Order: sequence, then C-alpha cells, then structure tokens
Amino acid sequence: MLQTIVLFSFAYLLLLSGSLFLFILARRLLVDARERRDLRLYGEMEGELLEVLTAPDPNRAALAFARRHKPRPRVLKQLLVAYREALAGRALEPLRTIFERTIRGRCLRELRSPWLTTRLQNVRLFVDFSRPEEAAHLVNLLHDKPVVRLAALNALSGIASHDTLSVIFDLFERDPAPNFYAYSNVFNSLGQRIEPFLRMSLRRPLPPGKHALLVEMAGRLLLRGLYADIVRFALSPDKELRIRAARTLGRLAVPASRRTLLALAADPAWEVQAQAVRSLGHLRDWRAIPVLVKALFSPNWHVRYNAGHGLAAYGLVGVLQLQEVSRQKEDRFAADMAAMVLDSVVLTGGGA
Amino acid sequence: MSGLLPVLDAGIETLILVYFLLLNTFYFLFSILSLAGILRYRRLITFVRFGEIFRMPIVKPVSVIVPAFNEGQGIIESVRSLLALRYPVFEVIVVNDGSTDDTLARLAEAFDLKLWRAVYRKSLSSAPVRGIYRSAVQPKLVVVDKVNGGGKADALNAGLNVSRYPLFCAVDADSILESDALLKVVRPFIEDPERTIGAGGIIRLSNGCAVREGQVVRVGIPRNWIARFQVLEYLRAFLGGRLGMAMLRSTLIISGAFGIFRKDIAIACGGYRAASITEDMDLVVRMQKLMHEKKRPFRIPFIPDPICWTEAPESLRVLARQRGRWHRGLIQTLVEYRRMLFRPRYGAAGLFAMPFYALFELTGPFIECLGYALFASHVLLGQANYPFAVAFFFVAVFYGTFVSLLSILLEELSEHRYPRLRDILILTVSGVAENLFYRQYLSVVRAWSLIDYLRGKNEWGAMEKRGFAKAGRTP
Repeated sequence: MLQTIVLFSFAYLLLLSGSLFLFILARRLLVDARERRDLRLYGEMEGELLEVLTAPDPNRAALAFARRHKPRPRVLKQLLVAYREALAGRALEPLRTIFERTIRGRCLRELRSPWLTTRLQNVRLFVDFSRPEEAAHLVNLLHDKPVVRLAALNALSGIASHDTLSVIFDLFERDPAPNFYAYSNVFNSLGQRIEPFLRMSLRRPLPPGKHALLVEMAGRLLLRGLYADIVRFALSPDKELRIRAARTLGRLAVPASRRTLLALAADPAWEVQAQAVRSLGHLRDWRAIPVLVKALFSPNWHVRYNAGHGLAAYGLVGVLQLQEVSRQKEDRFAADMAAMVLDSVVLTGGGA
Repeated sequence: MSGLLPVLDAGIETLILVYFLLLNTFYFLFSILSLAGILRYRRLITFVRFGEIFRMPIVKPVSVIVPAFNEGQGIIESVRSLLALRYPVFEVIVVNDGSTDDTLARLAEAFDLKLWRAVYRKSLSSAPVRGIYRSAVQPKLVVVDKVNGGGKADALNAGLNVSRYPLFCAVDADSILESDALLKVVRPFIEDPERTIGAGGIIRLSNGCAVREGQVVRVGIPRNWIARFQVLEYLRAFLGGRLGMAMLRSTLIISGAFGIFRKDIAIACGGYRAASITEDMDLVVRMQKLMHEKKRPFRIPFIPDPICWTEAPESLRVLARQRGRWHRGLIQTLVEYRRMLFRPRYGAAGLFAMPFYALFELTGPFIECLGYALFASHVLLGQANYPFAVAFFFVAVFYGTFVSLLSILLEELSEHRYPRLRDILILTVSGVAENLFYRQYLSVVRAWSLIDYLRGKNEWGAMEKRGFAKAGRTP
C-alpha cells in the first residue's frame, strides 16, 4: 500500500515539476519577447514624444500622438510616468493631453475597481496627471483603505484648489489614525499656500500628535506668519509639543522668539532643553551665548551636544567659546563635548 | 525484545515519513504564500517613485553599521558601495573589531581618516573602544576602532553606541547593498512608523556576478557547484521561506547581512547579546518578546526587492563551519527563549514560528540522519526494501526539486535577475543535483553541530574570503 502511494507520489511530483519547469521556461520566453517588443515600441514612442515636446504647437502634436498610440496603453503609461519625472511646469501640458485622450477614461473606470491594487495603480497615475475637475473622483477615494487614501491625497495635492485644501485638512483633522509621515509629505508638497488652513487647524482643539505635526510643518515651510500661534505651544503641558515649538521657533528664526527659547532652555524636560539650545544657535543672537555655554555644562549628554552645535552655528564667536570650554579643567564632560564639536567642525565643516 | 525491534523500526520509518511530508508541505505552503505576496507587492509598487522617498522631508535618517573583522580584502569596495547609497540622510559606521590584518590601515588610506574626539553615550556594553575616526573626504563615514570583543554582536553594540540616528541598518562588511536598497527597505517605516520595528530585505550571492566600483554590474551563476547550490538555497530561504513566514507574522530571522531596525527598541531590549552566535536571530526574537510583553502592536515585514549581495563559501570545509555555526545559533536561541514556545502571549512567534523552527529546522537534520542510518542498517542486515527505498528517494528528490522550481518562479516574478535562459537551466539542474550529496552533507554537519553545542563550542570560525573581484568571475 505504502509502496503504491510512494510510486504514485513520485509520478505525480515528476509531472508537477516537469510542468512547472516548462511553465517557467515558456513564461520567460514570452516575457522576453514582450519586453523586446515593448522596448522597441518605447523607443519609437519616445522619439515621437520628443518631437511632440519640441513642436511649435505641442498640444496639437500631442493630440495626434494620442490618436496614434491609444491602442498601446501599457507602454504609453510607462512612457508618461517616466517623462513626468523628467518634466515640470508647462512642459507637462502635452503629457496631460496625451493622458486624457488615451488612458484617462480607463483609469477613471478602474478607480471604482473592487481590487485595491488596481485602484491604487490608477490613483497613482492621477498623482501625476490630475485635473481640478477630477477632484470629485479623488475625494471619493479618501474613504478607501489607508494606502489608497494617501495616494488620493497625493493626487489632490497636485491640483490644490481652495476646496481640495479644505478637504485635505478636514480629513487630517478627522483621521482617527493619521499616518504623520504621509501627511507631512502631502503638506510639504502643497507648500506655503497651506498657511491659512494650518492656522485654522492650529487654533482648533486637536490631539497633541496632530498639533505637533502642524507645528513642525510651520517650521519646515518657514511660515513666519504663524509665529504667534506657534509661541502658544511653548507653554503646552505636552512635552512633545514644547519640543516641536522649540524646533520650529529655531527654524523660523524670528528674533522675538529669543525670550521664549530662553524659557524653554530652562524647561524641566531635558528633551525640550536640548531642542531649545539648538534653536537658540539658529537665532544667532549674541545675548543667547552665555546660556549656550552654560548648557555645555549640563549633566545631560543631549543638552551638551546640542549646545555645542548651537555654539558652532555662531561661527567664529561660537568656536572661540568652544575652545575656551575645551581648555577648562573643571568639567571634563563639557570639555570633551566642546572638543568633539570643534573636531567635527574642522574635519567635516560641520556638514556631517 | 526481538518483537520490539520491528515495532521500533516501523515507528522510526513512520516518523521519518511524517516528518518528510510535513516539512515539505510547510515549505510548499510558504512558497505559495510568497507567490501571493510577491504578486501583490509587484502590483502595489507599480508607479511608485522611490525617488519621492528620497525627497521626503521627514524620512528618518539611518545609521548603517558595518562590523569588520579582518575584512581588509573587500572593505574598501563595501564601504564605497555603502557611501553611494541613495538615501536622504545616513551615516556609515564601520566598526573595526580588533582586526589583525590591515583593515584599519586600508580604510585610513582610502578615506583619509582622522582621529575624532567623539563623546558618545554608552547605552550598551562593548569591549573598549581604542579610537573613533572621521573621514576628511566623506563626512558620512565614521570608523570605530575597538578591541576584539569575541563576536559580531559586540562590534554592533559599539556601533550602536556611536550611531546618531533613530534607525540602524546592520550590514556585513563582505556585503554589497544595491544603491536603492535602503530606500526600499525603509518604506514600511514610512508607511507604518509606529508599528514597524524592523524590516528585512533579500540576500543574494555575489559569487558568479561581476562587481565594479562597489556595485553588482552583471548577475551570473557561479561556476563552483557548492556556490550554485547555495544560490538556490538562498532563493528558497528568502523568497520562499522568509517572505512566507513574514506573511504569517512569524519572522524570527532578519539576516545579519542586511536588516534595518528601530534603535530605541533594540536598545530597550539590551542591544545585541554578546554571548549569542547568531546575534541577528537573537535580537529579532528578543525584540518580539519585548513588544509582546509590553502588549504593543508591532510588525516586522520582509520586503522582496531591496537586495544585498554577499559572498558564499565555495569549499565544503568553510561551508560546514558556517552552517554549523548557524545551527548552533539556532539551538542556542531556541533554548534561550524556550519559554516563548507554545505560549499564546507571544502571538504567532510563540505559537507557530518557534515551534516550527524547533520541530523542523532544529530536529530536521537529526531525523534525516536517522533515516540514512536506518537505511544503512537495513542494507547491512539485508532487510532493505530496495524498490521502496529508490521510489522514496526519488519522491524526496522531486518534492525538493518542485519547491526549488517554485523559488525560481518566485525569482522570475520578483526581480528577474538571472538574465539568461541558461541560468534557469543551471539552477534547475542544481535543484536536482543537490540531493545527491550536498543535502546529506549539510544534514550531517547540522546534526553534528548539536554535539558542538553540547560541548560548549561558541566560536565563529574563520570565513575565507576571495574578495568581490575574484568571486565575480562568471563562467
């Protein structure tokens, strides 16, 4: 009995392995052939696209190109995505025209596909080629799975009107589990036009995590108009918010923030102190130098480290202070830290 | 007594058959899961621009830690490849772990190293650091020169102490990362920053590949048959096994040659354990244990396309040393964390992954060796059922070949790195040929490692390296 089972298993496995082997070979031959064909087509289409882009009337040439290549959506998608990365501004218009005339309809249909990956692939094409009138379709996807939702947000950020910005911020405020990295990327790509929405959100009662991201974005986008709103968070009971406020104030480098940063440099939490002394360095206000020198003698490594780099940001004046601290014998830890920062400045120009 | 022997004999035979059936069924299921995972991943990353990650403002910076012990031959090539990585903010920390060759001198000459009076927090214990150097020409490079602490774990801990960034990537000094490997492996940390505590990528063998300026420029199959068998083994292990295990949330190993982790979690669980000989597995298990005990949700995904190329041994002696160490490490880790076994508190790791490793990976070689011994004894006693034995052997060969073919298919679907049809043919032949001696040899080596473990052998054993330039000779 056992012998028969084993013999049948052997025959079955032999057949299965043989079939799989033949499948792999056949697939490889087919894929190679398709790749060769696509590559040839890609080359031809690329040549024509370059002519379109340099034509006296690119939009008219784009229409002709779209008519010719509509039946080849796979290669066309690859070409459009590749050229989207290489072009910017008005040069993108012919690509948008080609997209609209060839694959837009199919992409819009597939945005309603029951398959997540299909929706995702298509919404990603809209990241590159969306028009304001497509906002409604994209907004519908903001209730989809997180990965699709974020791609839709990205696409919306490319056609940011007042309405879409409002939708994006509304979604952020209501999102029960926001992916802060993704949102920060979206906000960053939207740039300084988000200032009024950011201000409104900063003034609304939101969880500290969300406020922390908004404060951070104000610093990254250098929105100095939000200075008054940011200063408010320096008094927050939430430590993370105080850290972000200290960092953002350093980035904004508004001279009036010196007092706030000096207060934060005396915060009970070492994390806040460390960030505040670093930001004081960015201000380059000579009145903050004694505080930075004092922070070099802090018992906390991070505070000493940031104070050292804060002083280095002052240039020659800071370097002289660091030299002095490195030569004193009373506090070995402060001397070592000052020496290390000086070494970094000398070896890497502070670039590391 | 004479009646007991046939019963015992039949019992062992049944055990071997059941083991064989279960093991291969698991491997088959992992491959099927991986197949689904790879197909899904391929579709998910369509039209993703990894360059976008490069431009993201808040991508976490990464410290790449490279422990190096007597790696003079290939260290410059490796460090160059690491410095050429496409990633917004990173540092490369090479830890010269008391090398007795010219590793440090070569680094100093190639990168113009200058002694740096670094002040750092010693969060983890390690052997004394003799000096920390910075490169005057490569601001991202830091070299830590330390006294040999007896293992890679110690060097990694020293690197962790000096590192500045919240994520760290442990990379072997004899490995080459593809330029976009960090960008790809860091994606889970961007998409799910709170829950992702580690992520692993694929390790592939550089034997047979052409390496130029720290990058693999042409992929090929090595001439050496031992290396060929290993190419297939790595495909099975990474594309079939680990990806499938990761889909079941059962990742227990992220290769020490290329893995990325959250530094705060690694430090919270005490960093790398110096006493461990497979520090990579030990750290992953300990991180999971910590997260389960703190009841914090986490994930350790496995990404199928960031690739790290490494050199495999081409002689049986060195291979035996390497595999013996891996198996001793497996035994050591399973013994050390035996309390996690079958405990629902530790989730999939305790209920599935650890029992799987204990029942199949750990005991597998012994059961295989028992099978060979039983067959030999039957031959000697003239009791061998040759038709059955031959049929069973061929079943085993073709089951193994089928699983190998599945991994070749996974390779074709994921990265499609072996360009020639001839490569597929060679890999398929290797899948059959490895059953003739190689597999049995490794079973004996792995079974023997238990004896070494019981004797308290805790050494790494030297790995003879040819260097990428020589290993890169293609047929």
